[in-house]
This record gives sequence, structure tokens and C-alpha cells, in this order.
Amino acid sequence: MRTLAFLPLVLLPLSAQDAAVTRADWPHYGGTQFSWRYSALDQVNTSNVKNLLPAWIFQTGDYTENLGSTPIVVDGVMYLISAGARVFALDAAKGTVIWQYRYPTPRPGIAGSHSDFIQNRGVAVGDGKVIFGTKDNFVVALDQKTGHEVWKVSVDDPKQCGCNITGAPLIVKDKVIVGGNGGDQAHRGYLTAFYTKTGRAAWRWYVVPGPGEKGNETWKGDSWRFGGGAPWLTGSFDPDLNLIYWGTGNAAADFYDADRVAAGTSKSKDVNLYTASMVALDADTGKLRWYFQEVPDDVWDFDSSYEVLLMDRVVGNGSRGQMRKLLVHMNKSGLTFVFDRVTGEFLSSFNVPELSNWISGVTEDGKLVGRNEPEMGKTKNFCPSAAGAKSWNSMAYSPRTGFLYTPTNEICTDITPNDTKPTEGRFFMNGDFPMKLPPNRTTYSHVDAWDPVTGKRVWSMPYKFVLLSSVLATAGDLVFTGDPEGNFFALDARTGNKLWSFQAGAGHRGGSISYSVNGRQYIAVTTGFQQSLVGGAAVGLFPEENFRAGSTLVVFALPEGSR
Amino acid sequence: MKYALLLLAITTLTPAQDLGKQGEAVFSKSCATGYCHGARGTNGGAPRLAARGFDQEFIGGTVARGIPGTAMPAFATTLSRADLTAVVAYVASLNGIASPTIAGSGGPPVPAAAKLTADAARGRTLFSDAVRGFGRCSTCHEIGGLGIPVATPIAKVPADVAALKILATPQVSTATLGAESMPALVVSKKANAVIFYDLTTPPPVLRTEASASIQTRDGSTWRHASVISAYSDAELAAILTYLRAVVKL
Repeated sequence: MRTLAFLPLVLLPLSAQDAAVTRADWPHYGGTQFSWRYSALDQVNTSNVKNLLPAWIFQTGDYTENLGSTPIVVDGVMYLISAGARVFALDAAKGTVIWQYRYPTPRPGIAGSHSDFIQNRGVAVGDGKVIFGTKDNFVVALDQKTGHEVWKVSVDDPKQCGCNITGAPLIVKDKVIVGGNGGDQAHRGYLTAFYTKTGRAAWRWYVVPGPGEKGNETWKGDSWRFGGGAPWLTGSFDPDLNLIYWGTGNAAADFYDADRVAAGTSKSKDVNLYTASMVALDADTGKLRWYFQEVPDDVWDFDSSYEVLLMDRVVGNGSRGQMRKLLVHMNKSGLTFVFDRVTGEFLSSFNVPELSNWISGVTEDGKLVGRNEPEMGKTKNFCPSAAGAKSWNSMAYSPRTGFLYTPTNEICTDITPNDTKPTEGRFFMNGDFPMKLPPNRTTYSHVDAWDPVTGKRVWSMPYKFVLLSSVLATAGDLVFTGDPEGNFFALDARTGNKLWSFQAGAGHRGGSISYSVNGRQYIAVTTGFQQSLVGGAAVGLFPEENFRAGSTLVVFALPEGSR
Repeated sequence: MKYALLLLAITTLTPAQDLGKQGEAVFSKSCATGYCHGARGTNGGAPRLAARGFDQEFIGGTVARGIPGTAMPAFATTLSRADLTAVVAYVASLNGIASPTIAGSGGPPVPAAAKLTADAARGRTLFSDAVRGFGRCSTCHEIGGLGIPVATPIAKVPADVAALKILATPQVSTATLGAESMPALVVSKKANAVIFYDLTTPPPVLRTEASASIQTRDGSTWRHASVISAYSDAELAAILTYLRAVVKL
């Protein structure tokens, strides 16, 4: 029986944001470029999810790290990239290989820098091409039909910047926009746009303005040169406004600011622009249209590079209620901002983690108050940690419930800052920051439902370890995500009750998606836990556990004939 | 030879405590950083190293060769021999090996770092100056492992800035694809595909086009002067000084 007869419990006055939901295809990293990770498919729903079974399984053969990417599905073909940049086009109904491509051994970066980690979060598909970034900082475009290389261009030299590209690119009209990592190093972050047709550079926007540019004056001396800010994940795009939105990374050095912030600077607003900020850029020119710095003078590594959700909602009650074009954005601290995405006006904020001691609050106009900063010569405990109240894995949003679904970790850190001077491309964090489990807790994470307009938590499902996998919401009123023990599970979107769980064989770090082929709905999840960086820190926190690595995609559907 | 003997003598005489201190210093700079092993190998994103029961041979091998396919790099080529020895001894001490055997210094002497004049050193910085974005030399040239090797290695340094600007570039040809012509550095011509760098705008794009759809002819209107405008003449002169110091004929 289908559940279409049931009306949503709350009738939300939604505008037609049809472009924000996915249907048969899963065309972008965040589902659509509004980044909701929400599928309008409802064949699988709260009443029949218990019958889900694996339909096919695909092993990438690349077991060097995790499988942390989000697959793309277009016209019944799935495009999947592994950590070591093996790219596959698969029949999305059967899992058979249509073509495969293997990126050659990358040029080495700087040992121990970001350029040395193996990670890839996804490809972008558009203009007949499959486009991705590489460990050695190239952007590569493959022919979507054949998998043959069409163009390849170097964005930066990993031997110099210690940086590389791990985020999925964003294709906007005739360009592909890529960010990069490296903001924990002596590096100056940027976004670069290339023409999808030729690979030629179209524009570059530096997160940290150069001399003579507005914002450069917020940097002490020459510190802007290695100011960090790397926008290492994937942004969003509003075609009506022709704006791309991107979160930027932390200022460098991460935990020590005396070399980048002049003594006596007020920290209430605009310090070390445009790090730890939400920025809106003109999609054609890359020119800055508005910005809001979420963490002025970030000294906690709370960068703001995470996913950007674009939604239209009524703000205000009764006759004062007004449909607004919103932008909802959580940064690493778990502090979540709601902006008017037309103007960048700050509307509200809410704090998602239960443990937070880095600030005491946020003013009505979005300023941080009661800053609790690392101190030279001391070791201080901070919550959340630099691993993030949420890591880079994405939250989801359902227009049916009006809720955000987000995994949150209650992990703290002991920060001991130092004043090491920068060397280009080398780590420039200036602090030790071992992760610490907070005392007196038995669970260290939770999946929550939050109403972004009221800023209220609606339900919360606790979990004993950490949650580092993206969330998928569907019109079947289901919320899917996975844990490091290997369980992939479905929750009721309205109550948080667990309705189904499947042991997928390895820990979860990537993203799940939903799509359909010939009328059959599929749910696909990447498995294989991360053994370095944040995943590695999680492994270190729970040394008795075995959060298994791997690189396998598991695809579920209802059994044929039972739909 | 005298130099090698001296090294041997120093290494043999180095007290274990000094080696430990050096090892700790190397460790905190190269291994404890960022999301890696953390201070004293106890905390961090990478596996814990302290009290793991590792033996010295395993530590030495892993540090030198890395673990292929993981984030653990091979330090044999990036650390000096002395630092390598010290850091292995340090990690051994974290694993309860109180008196790590110090490897003999049978290897070749470490060559003295190339001494550059102030002007040449400035040229080296300018060559790959990140502030120039795609306008820096290293966008197309690799020297000493830095830069993207689009052009063939620099074999001859122009006499002066004027010569650098009018540099003859016979390798650059003209590719025509449909209605568009572009400056191209052809990498390979196969039966079915032509692989070339499209030099229209920096950075060069390595493109693959079907042989049937592309024509190439010798010569181009492309000029080296068009891609070095991010530098002043004085800066270009410093870069030439650097190149003269490092390019071996």
C-alpha cells in the first residue's frame, strides 16, 4: 500500500522549489545545486522500508582509503569515483561497468601536508563530461560516454602549496568551479572556474584579498599571503539570482592569531576576511556580491566550508509572515546560520551540539560573544573539536517536514597553541589538538531533526560512537545515514524512530543517494571507513573498536514484485 | 672522504639524549603535525605510534619507505640521513626500545645546499611566486622539482630580459578545431587522437581531440612575452640570475 493518502502533518506554505529536489536522477553532489540531499521518490517509505534488500554491490578495488564520495546518477548511469581517483560509469540498475578510468599515479605533494592524503568526495557531470579534481591538483574532464580524457589542467603545484582537490566540483552553466584544501597550511585559498568545453581558466577568486583589495586591511602585515581560508568542499547555485554560494575555510595559522591579527583589533566583525565566511559570488565573473563572516578571527579551526542549503520558507508569524529566499549553513562549530540569500542579511542562528564552550552566545545581529580562546603556554579543553560538531559529511533537508537532518558529534579537544613561523605549503596549524571524549557521557553523537526557521530541535537519536556519513532524506518520509560500525539505517523523518538497519560490512564515511531506473527506486550507499584525518581521529578515540576500511557501493531496492 | 669520516665520527659520538632530542624535534615538525600522529605519537588523525610494540627494523622501514597507498609518506628522500636516524630512534624509544642501535653512516655524504646569491634567491622565489597566480614561471616550467613541466626542461638561459621577451618558441604550433584556431604545444599525434597543450590562456590545458577533427600547422602568433607580464623587468632579471645559477648546460 502506498502512503500517498496521508497528508503531511503540517501543511507548509512552500513555494515551488521543484528544482531543489531530485527525482529519477541524482545529478549533483548535494542532490541538486540547492544541496538538500532530498529525493522526491516515495516508492520506498515508512511502511515498506523494512523490506529493502541489496539489489547489487560494486567493489571499486581501490582499498587504499575510504569510499567517501557521493555517486552521481544521470539517465540510468551512475558515475562513481574512488579515493584514489578511479572513475566508473555503471549501469545504475545492475551495477555492470560501462567504462572505467584510472587516474595515473599522481605527482607527489609535500610529505605530511594535505596534498599527501588520499581522498575524493565526488565527480560533477555536465556538458557531456565527468569532471573531478585530483590528489596532485589537476582538474580532469572525461567524456561522459566513453570515459576518455578530454582535458586536464593544473590548478596549483602540490609540491609548493601542499594543497589539492578533494571536493566535488560544481558545474554552473558553461563553467566548472573547483575549490581546494590547504587552509591548514601556509597557503592562500581560492576558487577557480574553468570552461567545461575547453578547460581554459575563466576566473579565480582568492578567499584572502591581496594588497589594494578590500579586506586585505583585516590582515596584519604580510600574513595574508599564507592566510588559509581554503574553500575545500562544494558550493551551491541559485540560477534565478545567478549567484554561487560557498563556505570558506579557517584562517591560518589555525590556533594562533598574533601574527595575523593586529593587537587591539575588535573581534566582533570582519577579522581576516574572507576566511570562515559565507560568500555569494557572481556565477559568471566570480566577483564577490555579499559575504558574512561567521567566525571572525577563527582560532579554533572552525572553518565554514560546509554545504550550503538554499530554501524558500516563510519567516515570521501570522500576517507578518513573509516568504524569504533563505540560505542555511552550519560551520564546523555546529553553529548554524540562516541568511537572506539575496542580500546576505543575517536572520537567525542556532547551535546544534549539546557541548559548546568556545563562545557564550550570538547576538541578534549574528555577532559572537564571550569568546573563549586558546592561550599561549596553556592547554585548554574546547568543545566541539576541530574535527567538527559535524564533519564535512552533509546534512539533508526535507520540504515535507521542513526539517534539517544532521549528524552531530560531541567530541572535545585539548588545544595547546604555538607560534611556529610559516613555510609555504607546510602545515601551519600552530597547535596540538588531540581529540578528547567529554566526561560523563555514554553516547558521543546523535542524528537530529531541526526546524531551521524556529531553530528548535524536534527529535534526536543518540549513537554511542561518532557519525561521519552524509544524510539522505526522501519523500517516503525516511532519513538514511550510516555509522562507523557498518550499519546503514533508515529513520522515520517525523519521529526519529529507527525503521530499518542493514550491516553493510564496513564503516560509513560517504554519502547515500536515491534514484530510479524504469520506475524502480534505488537507495545507494558508499561504504569504507576513513583511516586518516577525522576518520582516523575517530579510530583513535575508540581504540577497542574496529571501524573497517573498504571501498564498496551497496545499492538497495524493494524486491521485484513487492512494490 | 674526509667529510664522510667526520660525519661518521659525529654520529658515533652523539650521546643518545641528543639523538633523542633531535628525533623529537624532527618528529614534532614532520610527524606530529596537522591531522597526523600528534605530540609524542599518542594523539592524532593517523594511528598511534607510542607503545605499539614496533621493533626498530619495522619503524626504520616504514619511515623510509612509507606505506604505499596511504597518507604515510616515504621520508627517505625528504629527510636528511641524520634526521631519519634520529626520528627512527625517537619512535623506537616511544616503543620501549631504550637504546636504539644507531645506523652507521655508510651512505654518501649529503651535498652542501646550493648557495645562491641574494639576487638569485630572489629570482627563485619569484619563479614560483604564488601571488602571481597563473602568471608565474612555474605554471609551465619545472625547476628542482617545483613547477608543472609543460615546457621541456630549460636548457639555455636567455642573455637578458629583452631576449627572454622575444624568445623564439618554434615548438608552439597552431591547432585548428572547427572554426577556432589556438596556439598549441603538441605532445603526441596518434592515429586517432592528438594530445596537445592549449596555450590560449594560462594555465595550459592538456587537451585530447580526435585526429579527424583537428589540424595543426607549424608556427604561431603566440609570444612568450604575453605570459610573463606579471613580472617587472627587474624581477625578470632576478629570475634569469636564478636560472643561470641552477640550469646546468
